[in-house]
Amino acid sequence: MRLRTQTAYAFLTPYLLVFLAFWIWPIANSFWLSFLNTRSANWTFNPRVTWGRLLVDPAFANALWNTLIILVIQVPIMIALATVLATLLNSSMLKARGLFRFAFFAPVVVGEVAYAAVFRLMFNHEFGIINKMLAVASVPAIPWLSSPNAAMAVIIIAVTWRWAGYNAIIILAGLQSIPEDVYEAATLDGVSKTRQFFFITLPLLRPVIVLCVVISVIGTMQLFSEPFLITNRGGPGQATETLGLFLYRQAFGAFNFGYASAIAYTIAALAIVISLINLWLGRERE
Amino acid sequence: MAGISLKKVVKRFGVYEIIHGADLEVADGEFVVFVGPSGCGKSTLLRMIAGLETISDGTVSIGGRIVNDIEPADRGVAMVFQSYALYPHMTVEQNLSFGLRMTGHDKADVARRVKRSADTLRISELLKRKPRQLSGGQRQRVAIGRAIMREPQLFLFDEPLSNLDAELRVQMRVELARLHKELGVTMIYVTHDQTEAMTLADRIVVLNAGNIEQIGAPLDLYDDPANRFVAGFVGSPKMNFMAGRIVETNNGAAIVELVNHRGARLRKPAVDAPAVGSDVVIGVRPEHFFNAGEGDCDITIKADVAEHLGSVSYVYANAGREELIIEREASRQRANGDHLTVALRADRSLLFDKTGARVR
Ligand SMILES: Nc1ncnc2c1ncn2[C@@H]1O[C@H](COP(=O)(O)OP(=O)(O)OP(=O)(O)O)[C@@H](O)[C@H]1O
Ligand SMILES: [Mg+2]
Repeated sequence: MRLRTQTAYAFLTPYLLVFLAFWIWPIANSFWLSFLNTRSANWTFNPRVTWGRLLVDPAFANALWNTLIILVIQVPIMIALATVLATLLNSSMLKARGLFRFAFFAPVVVGEVAYAAVFRLMFNHEFGIINKMLAVASVPAIPWLSSPNAAMAVIIIAVTWRWAGYNAIIILAGLQSIPEDVYEAATLDGVSKTRQFFFITLPLLRPVIVLCVVISVIGTMQLFSEPFLITNRGGPGQATETLGLFLYRQAFGAFNFGYASAIAYTIAALAIVISLINLWLGRERE
Repeated sequence: MAGISLKKVVKRFGVYEIIHGADLEVADGEFVVFVGPSGCGKSTLLRMIAGLETISDGTVSIGGRIVNDIEPADRGVAMVFQSYALYPHMTVEQNLSFGLRMTGHDKADVARRVKRSADTLRISELLKRKPRQLSGGQRQRVAIGRAIMREPQLFLFDEPLSNLDAELRVQMRVELARLHKELGVTMIYVTHDQTEAMTLADRIVVLNAGNIEQIGAPLDLYDDPANRFVAGFVGSPKMNFMAGRIVETNNGAAIVELVNHRGARLRKPAVDAPAVGSDVVIGVRPEHFFNAGEGDCDITIKADVAEHLGSVSYVYANAGREELIIEREASRQRANGDHLTVALRADRSLLFDKTGARVR
């Protein structure tokens, strides 16, 4: 090896060591683990109790179902909302744009525990502000955290609140890359603002929106903090238990690392497959 | 088809007044070119006619109808942008037809117009391509094709050729002239390019800092500019300006001495000559220097550099603090430090007072 190359590797070594120890090794090791029965005293090769169990475990099916439900409802709502927010942010009529941009981005940097605590309070059955407001509109109080469907709704609302602004900022960047004169040409052509949005803005935003969908899918597949903190570990019962939570329960509740590894690989595989489908659906067609 | 009339048109952006009361009449079918230095308000004026900018004051009429409060789409104008402004995600065909499809035109009619527009602009082979698969010239053609789809009564062009290379520019310039002849509609065209302005225009509007300095046929502006700004702006290379002083006035004429050329005097007819002793400026185009002794007075200068273009040569010289450009017959000599004597003719020079206004 030439000296220069050696020097480069020498400088890279500390990072590579960390990367190897805390990234590559766990990834490789957990793959191996996912084939072991880790509940016996000495771990033996037995994929039937890990990969095989995934196929028949109703608790896994429940967590998968919950995760997919959240995904299917939350991601489209959030992206649509983010697109609307971005369009409003981009409006030339808006004053104090910087302030709004910061405000939309702020939820992402708020501590998870603090934000979860606030959501728990807001959705409290007896004295939460949400039920208070519903009462004003003469809607009977909803047991947000103790009814399975309502708890799912709270999770969806919370995740949407947290990440819609983040996606809106990304979409805003996309909006700002569309040249103004394209709209001017359309205006001269007599195309209404609404039609300009649907026939010019949306198609030109497609790559950015696909990116946001993929990021959101990956995030939601790993959803953990909200059901852990807001609905108290996937409650009521297992009604809001997600794959991430289920994985955590298997690994650090039951210490079944083999099964947990298989779940982890399943989450990753699903995230990749769903993202690829999105990329394929959103591809540039010639 | 329609003429246009601007009356005391003013544009303000906040507290800044950008256009200070422009008056302009454009006849039906005329080709009018706006020229002027960067930032003088050419695009702004054009966009006000199109309806893309509001009119702060005054009126704009198209075809006899005041359009101040009429939507851009209803003004019967089409605009071609410097950046082409094609819809990037649509094919050429979709680009052409988009406006008409969106406003509910009959399908067969749209198809017929696409075909005609594509034929006129020779882009029929490109209909299935997206803008990014086209060259600059092809894109510009598509942009013009899109503009003619709506059969507008008025075309507006904002520096449409400035992104093209020199050769393509010449080619497109000829095509634009052909298009104007074919369609016979009114066109307003913004450009920086002298040649485009001189060759395309029926009339040129010279703008400076938000004011219309002069309106006239290309050669009229060249031969008979109203002021020093127009004189300096029209023609390439630029007109030379030499400091002068009035040394005598008598029966409708002024004798001007060139300050940097002792003894060189020109007798200029001047009805309303500035007083004796006033500072004035003599303007002489590079091509209006003559061989020594063949004019009304001679000047001798020291040549710095000569540029030989093959057909002509330009000699750059410094006299006093004045930079002079003198056109000479083609030559291949280096000119460093050579002394050169050339003649000026009173009838081939222009007299300006110190405010820049022409004295005749
Ligand atoms: N939206 C705006 N807000 C404020 N000032 C503007 C705006 N648009 C243009 N101006 C100003 O108006 C003046 C004229 O601009 P305009 O674009 O019409 O110039 P132009 O003659 O087309 O120049 P160029 O040859 O460089 O294209 C400039 O001083 C510019 O800074
Ligand atoms: Mg301009």
